[in-house]
Amino acid sequence: MSNTYLAQIHGLGQEIDGLVKDILRLLDSCAAGEAVSFDIRLCLEEALINAVKHGNKNNKNLPIKVSYCISGGKFMASVEDSGNGFDYKKIPDPTTKENLLNTSGRGVYLIRRLMDEVSFNKSGSKITMVKYLK
Amino acid sequence: MVNMQINKTRQNDMVICSITGDIDINSSPDIRKNLDELTGKQEKKIVLDLDNVSYIDSSGLATLVEMLKKTRKYGGKLRLSNLADKVKSLFEITKLDKLFEIYETSEQAKANF
Repeated sequence: MSNTYLAQIHGLGQEIDGLVKDILRLLDSCAAGEAVSFDIRLCLEEALINAVKHGNKNNKNLPIKVSYCISGGKFMASVEDSGNGFDYKKIPDPTTKENLLNTSGRGVYLIRRLMDEVSFNKSGSKITMVKYLK
Repeated sequence: MVNMQINKTRQNDMVICSITGDIDINSSPDIRKNLDELTGKQEKKIVLDLDNVSYIDSSGLATLVEMLKKTRKYGGKLRLSNLADKVKSLFEITKLDKLFEIYETSEQAKANF
């Protein structure tokens, strides 16, 4: 199976839910385990929420481009917002003592910990994530 | 994607909040509103039973951290119980397991509170 699926969303809520449901169905059809599906769902939702809130500043006129595929035993997804990007190298570690009580800043950290490969484009407006299915 | 519900019961000076459903960006505002009622009354002993929570995201974690901070401010205590394996693993990855009192069962959480 190596079809690449493309989607566009503009906001939170049902749009994200619908896309994630499609992806979970695809994972289910490939017999991806529950734990793997949990990680992928979480990381996708974190990336999409970041794109809506921080990338597109909640502007519903701006698109977020999503592509995903399953190939060679891997799930791969990319999420690209329409914003100016950010410095992904300077994200504070949320697990340090001084940051532990913060009420934000765990999304990208979770993505990095739960996915097997994570990369950004130069500006930081596009994240690509890979999860090994086996 | 399970709709969230909260059931609150009181046992003497303790309030047990059983949450059912996902704790995520969609449900976090409702959860915050419900839990704010408890911190608003400065309830001293609160147990959040997460037995029926199979999914939590970073905004859900943030909501629980926010509640912990509020209870600490007035000298209250917040305990978590019955975390599913994947939910518990997120607490461990983010080191929030060092911040929260986490118990295997709600009976253990209620004991010696």
